[in-house]
Amino acid sequence: MTLRSLNAALLVLCAGFSASALAHNPMCECKEIPGEQIQCTGGFSDGSGAPGVTLDVIGYDETILLPGKLGQDSTLTFKKPAAEFYVLFDAGPGHVVEIDQADIEAP
Amino acid sequence: MSLFAAEQPASKLSRFWHKWRFHINILLLLVPLGFMPKYFADAALFRGDTGLGEREIGEVQVGPWSLRLAELRNEAPTLDGPAGHMKSFNAALCDSCRDQVKATYLRIGKPRSLRAAGVIFFGTPYRMGAMLPIPDKTKADAELWITMEGWDGAMHQASIPLSQASPATLAWLNKQGGKP
Repeated sequence: MTLRSLNAALLVLCAGFSASALAHNPMCECKEIPGEQIQCTGGFSDGSGAPGVTLDVIGYDETILLPGKLGQDSTLTFKKPAAEFYVLFDAGPGHVVEIDQADIEAP
Repeated sequence: MSLFAAEQPASKLSRFWHKWRFHINILLLLVPLGFMPKYFADAALFRGDTGLGEREIGEVQVGPWSLRLAELRNEAPTLDGPAGHMKSFNAALCDSCRDQVKATYLRIGKPRSLRAAGVIFFGTPYRMGAMLPIPDKTKADAELWITMEGWDGAMHQASIPLSQASPATLAWLNKQGGKP
């Protein structure tokens, strides 16, 4: 492949993928790990991590059971609360992900 | 080119190419024409020349305020990688509430709290946009909840059936076969 056709191919690729880079929706996944613990991983759909972002464990009665922040590896591990709860990944107003306890997979 | 090669008689294809290549290349200029109707339709949609979105849902009353809601595209949700399926909605605030409303949120199902009110609309009050995640297990009778927060701290909510907000999304959910 000549340099010129390589450049043309690159240009087409850049144009094709530019729109997808605009969206960065928050996302969060939680799973139960051995020892009655729950591990949550946060991030954004453009592939970036979410270190330092707030992740609160909130009871069904809206009391905050466990206020937390994601670590440098964008994860947070906490002990499974006894009461009914949901996890709220909060990257700012309108940039939240809720995970109900029913949606957290058992090991 | 060597002398030896030049002495060889040109093939039929080669002669055709050399004779017509200029005219054939002009045909390449016609290629973009095929993409123009879609391009101009999209440009008009994003500028707002064809309305708030491809499909207007109508005026929704939210407490003392109201907003005009529309689907950006009258089609099924699109996949945004690991974040799941997304559906874009546009909205315009009513004339009198533009300077009263601080934020407008959209969510499938009733929000548990203002903090978890869903996705936020961004943009000018005349034309705001939001990308709503559609969980795979959304039920056919789900409701779209609109939460509006005022500068004075007031909060008002309203809901409309998802079937009214986006028939295309409902058709897509039914096709998915209602995941548990």
